Amino acid sequence: MHMRTIIRVVFLGGWLLVVAGCKKFLEHPPDNRAKLNSPAKVAQLLGTAYPQANYMAFCESISDNAADKGFGGLTNTNIQPYKFQDVSENQQDSPEFYWNACYAAIAAANQALEACNKAPDPENYRAQKGEALVCRAYAHFMLVTLFSKVYDPATADQDPGIPYVTEPETVVFKNYERKTVAYVYEMIEKDLTEGLPLIDDKSYSVPGYHFTKAAANAFAARFYLFKREYTKVIDHANAVFPGNNVVPSLRPWNTTYLTITYNELFARYAKDTEPANLLLVETSSLWARNYFTVRYGMDATVRSQILTANVTGGTWAFVNQLYTAGTNNYLIPKINEYFVRSSVNADIGYPYVMVPLFTAEEVLFNRAEAKAHLDDVDGAMDDLNLYASTRIRQYNRTNHAVTAQKARNFYRTSDTKAAVIETILDFKRAEFVQEGMRWFDLLRYNRPVVHTTWEGETFTLEPNDLRRVFQIPESARLSGIELNPR
Amino acid sequence: MRKSVSSARIYTTGRIMKLSILVISIFLSTVASLKASGVNAQNALDKRISLELNNVLLRDALNKIGDLADISFVYSSSKALDKNRVSVHAHNEKVKDLLEKLLTPHSLSYTVIDNRIVIRSAPDKGMKPVTPPGESSDMPPPIDVRGVITSDKGQPLPGVSVLVKGTTRGVATNAEGFFELKGVSNDAVLVITARGYKSQEVALSNYKGDVLRIELIAEASNLEEVVVTGFQNIDRNKFAGAAVRLKADDIKLDGVSDVSRMLEGRAAGVSVQNVSGTFGAAPKIRIRGATSINGDNKPLWVVDGVVLEDIVNISNDQLSSGDPTTLLGSAVAGLNANDIESYQILKDAAATALYGARAMNGVVVITTKKGKAGRTIINYTGNYSTQLKPVYSDFNIMNSAQQMSVLAELERKGILRPDILNGPDNGVYGKMYELMNADDNGNFPLENTQEAKAAFLRRYALANTDWFDILFRNNFMQEHSLSISSGTDRSQSYFSTSYFGDNGWTIADKINRYTLNYRNNYKFSDKLSGGFAAVGSVRQQRAPGALARNSNPVEGKYDRDFDINPFSFALNTSRTLTVYDEQGNLEYFRRNYAPFNIISELSNNYIDLNVIDLRLQGDLAYKIRPDLRYEFVGALRYVKSTREHQITEHANMANAYRAASTSVIRRNNKFLYRDPDDPEAEPVVALPYGGFYNRTEDMLVNFDFRNSITYTKKIADKHEVNVLAGQQVKYTDRQNFSNTGYGYQYENGGVPFIDYRILKQTIENNFPYYGMSKDYDRFVAFYGSGSYTYDGKYNITGTVRYDGSNRLGESNKARWLPTWSVAGSWNVEQEGFMRDVIWVDYLTVRATYGLTASMGPATNSTIVLRNVNTNRPYFTEVESVIQLANLENSELTWEKLYTTNVGLDASLFNRRMNVSVDVYQRTSFDLISIIKTSGIGGEAYKAANYADMESKGIEILVGGEIFRKKDWSWRTNLTFGYNTTLITNVKNIPNIFSLVVAEGGNKEGYPVRSLFSIDFKGLDPFTGAPLFVNQEGKTSGAVYLQDEETSHLVHEGPVDPTITGGFSNTFRYKNLSLNVFFTYQAGNKIRLNPAFSTSYSDLDAMPKEFYDRWVLQGDQNLTNVPSILDIMEQARQGGAYPYNNYNYSTERVAKGDFVRLKAVSVTYTAGNNLLKLTGLNSLSIGLAATNMWLVYADKRLKGQDPEFFNSGGVAQPVQKQLTLSLKVGL
Repeated sequence: MHMRTIIRVVFLGGWLLVVAGCKKFLEHPPDNRAKLNSPAKVAQLLGTAYPQANYMAFCESISDNAADKGFGGLTNTNIQPYKFQDVSENQQDSPEFYWNACYAAIAAANQALEACNKAPDPENYRAQKGEALVCRAYAHFMLVTLFSKVYDPATADQDPGIPYVTEPETVVFKNYERKTVAYVYEMIEKDLTEGLPLIDDKSYSVPGYHFTKAAANAFAARFYLFKREYTKVIDHANAVFPGNNVVPSLRPWNTTYLTITYNELFARYAKDTEPANLLLVETSSLWARNYFTVRYGMDATVRSQILTANVTGGTWAFVNQLYTAGTNNYLIPKINEYFVRSSVNADIGYPYVMVPLFTAEEVLFNRAEAKAHLDDVDGAMDDLNLYASTRIRQYNRTNHAVTAQKARNFYRTSDTKAAVIETILDFKRAEFVQEGMRWFDLLRYNRPVVHTTWEGETFTLEPNDLRRVFQIPESARLSGIELNPR
Repeated sequence: MRKSVSSARIYTTGRIMKLSILVISIFLSTVASLKASGVNAQNALDKRISLELNNVLLRDALNKIGDLADISFVYSSSKALDKNRVSVHAHNEKVKDLLEKLLTPHSLSYTVIDNRIVIRSAPDKGMKPVTPPGESSDMPPPIDVRGVITSDKGQPLPGVSVLVKGTTRGVATNAEGFFELKGVSNDAVLVITARGYKSQEVALSNYKGDVLRIELIAEASNLEEVVVTGFQNIDRNKFAGAAVRLKADDIKLDGVSDVSRMLEGRAAGVSVQNVSGTFGAAPKIRIRGATSINGDNKPLWVVDGVVLEDIVNISNDQLSSGDPTTLLGSAVAGLNANDIESYQILKDAAATALYGARAMNGVVVITTKKGKAGRTIINYTGNYSTQLKPVYSDFNIMNSAQQMSVLAELERKGILRPDILNGPDNGVYGKMYELMNADDNGNFPLENTQEAKAAFLRRYALANTDWFDILFRNNFMQEHSLSISSGTDRSQSYFSTSYFGDNGWTIADKINRYTLNYRNNYKFSDKLSGGFAAVGSVRQQRAPGALARNSNPVEGKYDRDFDINPFSFALNTSRTLTVYDEQGNLEYFRRNYAPFNIISELSNNYIDLNVIDLRLQGDLAYKIRPDLRYEFVGALRYVKSTREHQITEHANMANAYRAASTSVIRRNNKFLYRDPDDPEAEPVVALPYGGFYNRTEDMLVNFDFRNSITYTKKIADKHEVNVLAGQQVKYTDRQNFSNTGYGYQYENGGVPFIDYRILKQTIENNFPYYGMSKDYDRFVAFYGSGSYTYDGKYNITGTVRYDGSNRLGESNKARWLPTWSVAGSWNVEQEGFMRDVIWVDYLTVRATYGLTASMGPATNSTIVLRNVNTNRPYFTEVESVIQLANLENSELTWEKLYTTNVGLDASLFNRRMNVSVDVYQRTSFDLISIIKTSGIGGEAYKAANYADMESKGIEILVGGEIFRKKDWSWRTNLTFGYNTTLITNVKNIPNIFSLVVAEGGNKEGYPVRSLFSIDFKGLDPFTGAPLFVNQEGKTSGAVYLQDEETSHLVHEGPVDPTITGGFSNTFRYKNLSLNVFFTYQAGNKIRLNPAFSTSYSDLDAMPKEFYDRWVLQGDQNLTNVPSILDIMEQARQGGAYPYNNYNYSTERVAKGDFVRLKAVSVTYTAGNNLLKLTGLNSLSIGLAATNMWLVYADKRLKGQDPEFFNSGGVAQPVQKQLTLSLKVGL
């Protein structure tokens, strides 16, 4: 070998060594950031794959559960939905905040899925993959429900959906497509049906805050209810109640809840030891301090409408825990604030609300409704009676049983099915008052909402009104997303 | 656990003792040696010698005597010596007598000074020189050499080192510039070196025995000869970049311990704002203003070629926060100012090019002193300072009688009612209502009558407590620095040690700092040379106990719990409160439901800061060929700092955790424990015993290695080429640890008593009681630079650098960044047509252009995942989850900056006047800022490289010697820097609060860090409450500070001054010199300290503005000072905070322009006669006064310092200071 060649080889080799050394040297992470290199870590990431924002404020305010008290706290997350305007606020409790939180949850799920798929031992990541898929499906489902037209088999393949994101974003601005509601539902179903069987309850350290089998089935029940596939609703609902033993899972409203103080009720309503709470999520939200002080909320009229007369003929146990702060500021102590101080002794910080995303009660209602749609009125009645037995004060089956007759009489109709469905919707309205759930039923049944104000204005949200769909954040245009028509 | 803590503390104390003994012993031994040498010379005169000489020159005769008696002569008059010939016949004669015999006939006499004998003319007695006949004798080799060294202006130069080349022999010249070397071989070469002059070599082969006259050529002192970039030393006339060299001696402010503060006003374009004067806190330094919107804007500090990494990175906002971390803010707090030789400030892209991707904010290169060949030189510098106590007359605060009348109004308005006893804080009225309650025996210590109450309040109305007098003192600061420099031409060493001690301007402060610097340079052979330095410092500091502050945009203020900063306490605490009661015991008032007395609190709640900083540095240079040189520089640095926040069981903060005397207090005291599982339970005390021991540790380990090859060649005497190529590796690990120690019982043997509930409370609130985080910085760079000079006239330089860092995350793409610069200069005076223009000594025109960069505040070139604990109310529900902190940004890159710089340097009128002008334009791009995205990717607000800003400015330096006479001279120096910035593109969405705070905020279309104000719209005619334009553009009392609609705010101006500079004048008369130094700044706006609040208590001190407050309807037409709200109106405010808003309104802004008499100093430098008498090498005594007079400032400031951010915590303003300094050289 020539000397020159040797020098070249040595030089090149040395250079390569330096470059390789540099690469390794520079690959050191700059700080204590986490790496997704084990199933346990992927599981930890999935702890944030749930939308950490609260939909209660704008859903409750847009619904018929709100009325003008003439005074009270003024926040745009309350005023604008009440007046069926686009919400300009983008902080806690706003639709935009919720939009961002859902996509943040989706990003976490996608990151977890990428780690599951890239792992050398994917078989050890089954449970994580399952949770990630269901999380991704759930966040998209909530987005499509609030920001797209409600699922209608007739128009779903034309109605614009919301971007269904399946991979992590790696550039500052990426373009997305809305596609159609049908597409989004299809994707949700795909993720849900693929993920649900993989879920393993044993993989969770705090199951109350994760998609357990029960919670995932509860989600499936809600999803198919929206999709109007009622048999599947019943199947998934049944999976929530093993041995069809429903009552122990329901909140003990007409027993324990009657005797505890309001502070105690606040403390336990959204606690994971309550069997009714199938899935909880922590959200940064001011709703706990606002829900009874805002101007547009539950006043005396709404209270009477929702919490007095009902099909059973009995008295709601809710009334025993109905309070008012000042006059006309009615509240049931179920939305509690957890205040996270900004430093150990600070007086300021972020208020949090633990939101029960799925409860045993909702599953029971969904099953009842599905049964009603499938013309199983008796089945529906059975479910409603299970519910009523835990809600009516001094419940007595003979006096308080829900029957088709009672329902027809109560709603002055001869249509049993309609009467049963009305019963379900009203029970639900009472059960979830101030929790924003009413809006989803108003959406599904395309019911009009009329809001009046003390100034004498009347706002009407007609069926098929374009404003039934919350507006997509303006900044979504940056990703090539068209806003909802107005 | 406990054991390890206590032994660690003993270790630190032991160390201090050792070091201070060292300082003293060195001092003593040098004094001793000084005396001994004085005695020796005197003894020599009494020696008896024998000598026979015939007809030799008088000088030679004396030299012979000198040889025999082993003494050296110094000649102040040499004419007679070389003209006259003498013969000597001495037998066992005393030297003394012999000299007299020889000298008297020639009108000469002698005196003994130090160890030398000085020969000079005796008073003329009219005698004529005699020339006796005789013959010359042989002069056998080796020869004796004598010479006089003068400057090119003919002045003799003392202290110049004269070395025999290749040996360790050498001498230094005396005060007359004279030297003498005996027994030198006649083919020897002398090497002559002096600071400020070019060194020279003189061959002795032609030496005839006469007195050598050697003229040294001065290095151009105004137009710097060499630019030290830290990578290279470049001739100034070949350098085109914008750089300023400052000699440490010229800018040193005696008594100022932090060298970064000395740069204020010294270099054009360098702005130094003393946002806090506390030792260790960094001033806000900007070289040519800001370059980044959200990233760092502070310059890079480089010491002897190695970057000085920060122990903790203090962000732009943190700098003025007063948080305890700021005590570690100054990178140079551990440097002894006396060790510094010079500062080189590199300003433009060409100057900083070799720092590549870290140089965006400019570089300050510090060169420290090195040992010098020649005589051992020992220097002592002592500074003894005192700082003056602040006085109330400088501020605008009510005295106790005025304050009491306001309290009476508060009482009338229902604010000071007996129910204040349920509140957390109360003062005089609280005490009064307490005494009106029945005691245990059912007696009422104070009757509820108007007379009794008035009598009680009278004492406090007359108290007029002088908080400044109580909390401050005229402290004594001392700084002793000792350096020893010695060496031969083969090895030189420099050793220095210093002690800085301050017993505290406030009763809560104390500082001790020790430094050590040992540096050796070796010349192993003609080809190989190297050096090694060990530099260390130890710092112990006590500061008032302070917690970090929290921004509170809800109400519009900064919160800091338990703040006991003496300066803000004195300004904000009512003068009606007394420190001692009538019996002379400490008197307590209520704060946080617990008794509070500031003197007791300061002694029970304090921070002890300890910093150990060690640096080892080595360098090696090898001359491969005459034109090719290899260099290596390597450094290791280790810094450990601990902050012990000690809060004893007697501290108010500890007692607040135990305040539970009534059920109302139990319900309201936020420091009590509330069990989330038992919502109906009453809050309980969770800290039954003890206080807190909170410890924070910061550690830094840093390696830095650099290899480079330089090729220098001069071809055909016209073409000069210089090429540099190199490589650098840097490694920095930082660690931060903090721990809250609950229940530490300081008085019970240090046994912690921990109630499990205090931990439960902390955990349930999601605050870990301890934490540790690490930070890793890895850096690799390759660089190259080439320059070409034609005929000494035209220079062109190009530099490229390729940096790699791990800071952006683990992405290959983002990691590397090339930067570059080109520069050219034209030395006009070298041109033929300039030969006749004699008034121009030097004229250079320069132009540069280049790209530099800096690391932005984002690290997500790959995804950033962080572990957090979930925010859930019940401990059983909390889990550790991973949060997606930042999505991957594959486009992430460094923040970059293009700079164009055009400059001119000139020296005129025989170097009487120097002018330097630089004009620059900078375009920052790829700056990191927050941008709102669609949110669909999962991160709605992303940090991305998209923001742009521009800045431009001009810098002017004019200096010169206006008078230059033998006995007196006047030298003046004026620097002027103008800089404006403009954010041209940023899509961040600031809220109102972030724009109106004193630190300012960033918004597109405005300068970086602009101050905005809420538009004040007068007072409410019915309540006197202030009204503003709110976020919706309507006039209202309530402005929602967290609103993102900021278009209704009024832009006031930038927070950073646009004009900065200094004006220095030095007058010399003989040995006395007077320096008067002004600094000035202008163009910025200052937020006045917040003085107003919705409600006032009997603890608050009020500014005198309150005299003019709204009192009656109609006053709104006369005044803009809002009323004091009564209790009803306060309740009506609901969630609004109009008075806090007022603090951020257009009414509470002042101009930042000021002229400050920064320093006045008088120095006496001992002349030759005195030096001879004392036997010292040099001696000077100076008296300096710093920060004495704010010549001009906005009247609205009313005593507020325009530089200082009074943020409490550990922040203090720069103080008025008097310093006596003594410099002695042996």
